[in-house]
Amino acid sequence: MNCEVKVKDRIGTINPIFTCQPAGAQYASIGIKDCIGIVHGGQGCVMFVRLLISQHLKESFEIASSSVHEDGAVFGALDRVETAVDVLLSRYPHVKVVPIISTCSTEVIGDDIDGLITKLEEGLLAEKFADREVHLLPIHTPSFVGSMVSGYDVAVRDFVKKFAKKGEPNGKINLITGWVNPGDVKELKHLLAEMGIDATVLFEIESFDSPLMPDGKAVSHGSTTVEDLQATGSAIHTFALNRYEGAKAAQFLEKKFKVPSTIGPTPIGIRNTDALLKKLSAVTGKPIPESLVRERGIALDAIADVAHMFLADKKVAIYGNPDLVIGLAEFCLDLEMRPKLLLLGDDNSGYVDDARIKALQDNVDYPMEIVTNADFWDLEDRLKNKGLELDLILGHSKGRFVSIDYNIPMVRVGFPTYDRAGIFRNPVVGYAGATWLAEQMANALFNDMEVKKNKEWLLNVW
Amino acid sequence: MPYHEFEVSKCIPERKMHAVVKGPGEDLTDALPKGYLNTIPGTISERGCAYCGAKHVIGTPMKDVIHLSHGPVGCTYDTWQTKRYISDNNNFQLKYTFASDVKEKHIVFGAEKLLKQNILEAFDAFPDIKRMTIYQTCATALIGDDIGAIAEEVMTERPEVDIFVCNSPGFGGPSQSGGHHKINIAWLNQKVGTVEPEITSDYVINYVGEYNIQGDQEVMLDYFKRMGIQVLSTFTGNGTYDSLRGMHRAHLNVLECARSAEYICDELRARYGIPRLDIDGFGHKALGDSLRKIGLFFGIEDRAEAIIAEETARWKPELDWYKERLQGKKVCLWPGGSKLWHWAHAIQEEMGVKVVSVYTKFGHQGDMEKGVSRCGEGALAIDDPNELENQEALLTLKPDVIFTGKRPGEVAKKMRVPYLNAHAYHNGPYKGFEGWVRFARDIYNAVYSPMHQLSAIDISKDDYAIDKGFVTRRMLSDATLSEEAKASPITGYTGPFDPISGLRGKTYPVFERRAATEAAE
Amino acid sequence: MAKKDKKDVARANYPKLYDHDPLADVDDDMKSKVSELETYIMKNCLWQFNSRGWDRRKQNAGILGKTTQLLVGEEVDTSTPLDKCYWVDAVLLARNFRERCAWLSGLGADEIRSVLAKLHARIDWLTIDGSLNEELTVQNY
Repeated sequence: MNCEVKVKDRIGTINPIFTCQPAGAQYASIGIKDCIGIVHGGQGCVMFVRLLISQHLKESFEIASSSVHEDGAVFGALDRVETAVDVLLSRYPHVKVVPIISTCSTEVIGDDIDGLITKLEEGLLAEKFADREVHLLPIHTPSFVGSMVSGYDVAVRDFVKKFAKKGEPNGKINLITGWVNPGDVKELKHLLAEMGIDATVLFEIESFDSPLMPDGKAVSHGSTTVEDLQATGSAIHTFALNRYEGAKAAQFLEKKFKVPSTIGPTPIGIRNTDALLKKLSAVTGKPIPESLVRERGIALDAIADVAHMFLADKKVAIYGNPDLVIGLAEFCLDLEMRPKLLLLGDDNSGYVDDARIKALQDNVDYPMEIVTNADFWDLEDRLKNKGLELDLILGHSKGRFVSIDYNIPMVRVGFPTYDRAGIFRNPVVGYAGATWLAEQMANALFNDMEVKKNKEWLLNVW
Repeated sequence: MPYHEFEVSKCIPERKMHAVVKGPGEDLTDALPKGYLNTIPGTISERGCAYCGAKHVIGTPMKDVIHLSHGPVGCTYDTWQTKRYISDNNNFQLKYTFASDVKEKHIVFGAEKLLKQNILEAFDAFPDIKRMTIYQTCATALIGDDIGAIAEEVMTERPEVDIFVCNSPGFGGPSQSGGHHKINIAWLNQKVGTVEPEITSDYVINYVGEYNIQGDQEVMLDYFKRMGIQVLSTFTGNGTYDSLRGMHRAHLNVLECARSAEYICDELRARYGIPRLDIDGFGHKALGDSLRKIGLFFGIEDRAEAIIAEETARWKPELDWYKERLQGKKVCLWPGGSKLWHWAHAIQEEMGVKVVSVYTKFGHQGDMEKGVSRCGEGALAIDDPNELENQEALLTLKPDVIFTGKRPGEVAKKMRVPYLNAHAYHNGPYKGFEGWVRFARDIYNAVYSPMHQLSAIDISKDDYAIDKGFVTRRMLSDATLSEEAKASPITGYTGPFDPISGLRGKTYPVFERRAATEAAE
Repeated sequence: MAKKDKKDVARANYPKLYDHDPLADVDDDMKSKVSELETYIMKNCLWQFNSRGWDRRKQNAGILGKTTQLLVGEEVDTSTPLDKCYWVDAVLLARNFRERCAWLSGLGADEIRSVLAKLHARIDWLTIDGSLNEELTVQNY
């Protein structure tokens, strides 16, 4: 077998690819309208995650902290959450949804946030905020379990669990996007609109690409409402595009409300987008329209310009969120490229059984490594000490110095991508995403040829 | 009414004691914001945690050290690559961060074995690095891992390595300031005095509370070297681990950020009799006086004067050019801690702007004493600011520009107030004579951005002249200036994009040692 | 209670000198002179703001004492590193005072001593005895 799946052979982490669970829950929370989460832990668990997301989106948004200090860590800090809920609701009259997101410290000290929520619902909410629609929910995201990826997965499930109701079948589908960018949501909604499919999208974050308005009053916020979340229980079908970021919610809806679900495909590349459209069509009975045939053609036309001439046989390393990495690898293979190293940055033991990874193992005809629980040292060590040669890196900004120090061009993709302008605005999913990715990769290689004076004359004619 | 109550904070009355408007004829004994108190939960404060104060602010700028956080990966990841503290060893400390990656089983059964293996792995991965700092996090503090014992064990097994342990979990104090304190004292107790440094000059200082943001430390080091002063250590920007173990041998501690590093200076004064000299590296007058003081201390004031004369001649005209154009522009000075007082007076005097508000995320009352003193009447001082109060303040004060962090900067942007990064700078360094002009340049570029002007226009309603294809900053900034000012041949800052790299290979005059001279006589 | 006791112990390191603003007792001329000097210090200096009360007392006495000596032409003790450090701040202060306050050159030594004594009292009041800073009495650094 040419393709090997292995676990990182060190115990520690040198330059982590992922952050921890609460970050995933926080990223999910900002997709909901009138929602401000309270992260129950030290202030850094919020301050730095807000900074991280803010760097990525170049926008601001609100997440609160229970500000656990020394005394809380020793004696329990539930009183901090009580105060936080009260203060937050008092000062933000529009807020309806308040997830209480746990962290390592408050899980270790064993604060019972579930019990507290019951107490607050019967006490504070009933007494002080009786005329307000307020929903509190616990999200358990201890940092020592999983990663930001599982944190996102857990959070989506918990939001759905909190709100989903069985009503009259509404004829809609649920589309759980996974951890994507505003540009991706926009593209997915476009595909649905072309198909004429009515969907509840978790989560509608496209408005995070928000304007600077003359009145100075624009704010960025998610647009998925409580009503949307409630409606997920009455849908005809759930599509969770990413197995590791949203499948838990789909499975919950299937089990509790008998809403059938489809996990995947992550619609990266032409083939995976085709598959999604086919599945959407099969479930809804709506045909794939001519307009999408044309869009697909435009994408293929653009890709044909760069694929077999420039991208073919280029060796690439890919790291980041698992569904993204796998989707990108699949697309790269379709583009005749050679993904040499895939890095999945957490200890999820399910990756080895992923059918997509098995397919890679069965079919790749050159040496390829897939490392789980990986860190950036798994990439750098191979480049520095083990003879790995690469033409391109695909991944997020935290790996930027590998690209810089080893002179390997890099296309920024995933989360976070703070060191390039506007990445969040562009989709990697759908036909538009396929075009964007192929052209970004080609342009990165072109630029590298010029910087290194490596056949830079080639593009004199093209 | 000196204490200021925000409309948005009426439901949390204790906040009233955290904001003060400097009234006419009032002084520090009339009103002073409370500071460094536990944060009110749910206010959406901007504070970070004590772990980040120790690791991210003070620990990590040490450049030849493996910085290992003992805990889950998040603490490490989140505080990695979010600052601009560079170094002259290819930025090792910016590029590499280490986490012991504590998982659930370690929480249950203990993580000491895991930690030990981590330490060994990290040293093995970087055989040239022999120094390490281990940072405790919330999780490992709560399970009670004895990090110090593990570090001792490794140091016994591998005598060539040295490890510093910093026990400053995220919950250890109201803000990052708790971590500043803990790492100051821990370094002093564990490491100072464990190396005898080589003394190469008659004039030996520690440069303390300086983190080399965009090269600040290297700019100041250049001045010190030109004066023939040996900078024994820098605490901690661009500083080395072993040089900081020899801090006890300096003749003088030169202190920049008293907020984060006065503790170690006070202790060094008490324990070793090394005087503490507080300086400002920001602002031409303040910097000049700072260099003069250091020169005076060593009897080499002439060397300071020579630098001041040369640098002032080179940069003052450009600074004045900006001052003329920034006159009266309103500024919210909303940094983390020390910059509120480092900058408040100097930017008003030397750039002509008016500071209408100062705030501090993690400062103490001492910082407010300095900051409020250095502001003019009417300035609004806020301790531990939160999101809604900031928005209320911006709406009321209507500043022309704001100096704050990245994320609050995005809030300001939406409210149509341009922002400059007060922590990491836009295009720094900002210290030094040239750096101060770079700061003025960045302010000018923000205030007179033609794009910023366009953002005020509602194209559906407003009538505005569409006869121009472009507008330059100068067309905006010079509109109301005198003909003489308009005719200035200066066009703003003339330095390079990167003023730091050039300093690194520079050679310096060799001054004869006094001891040698005396022996010869 | 325990907390209060600690504060008292810390207080004992620097007994209270003033229970009201020393400038309240002086004439307008003195007040305006002292205010001018005070403003310069508060806008430009940092030495008066060490974090603890006992250090502030020493800093104020050391630097303003030596500034007085410099302004009246007395010899200044710089024999210890700490004295020297006070002295450098005093030199800069004296120079800046002379540069900004022309009236200083018209005063005799005793008059200068009396203005500087009031200034010292006023700075002690602002930074120590009248200060609202609750950390001045913290016992450790």
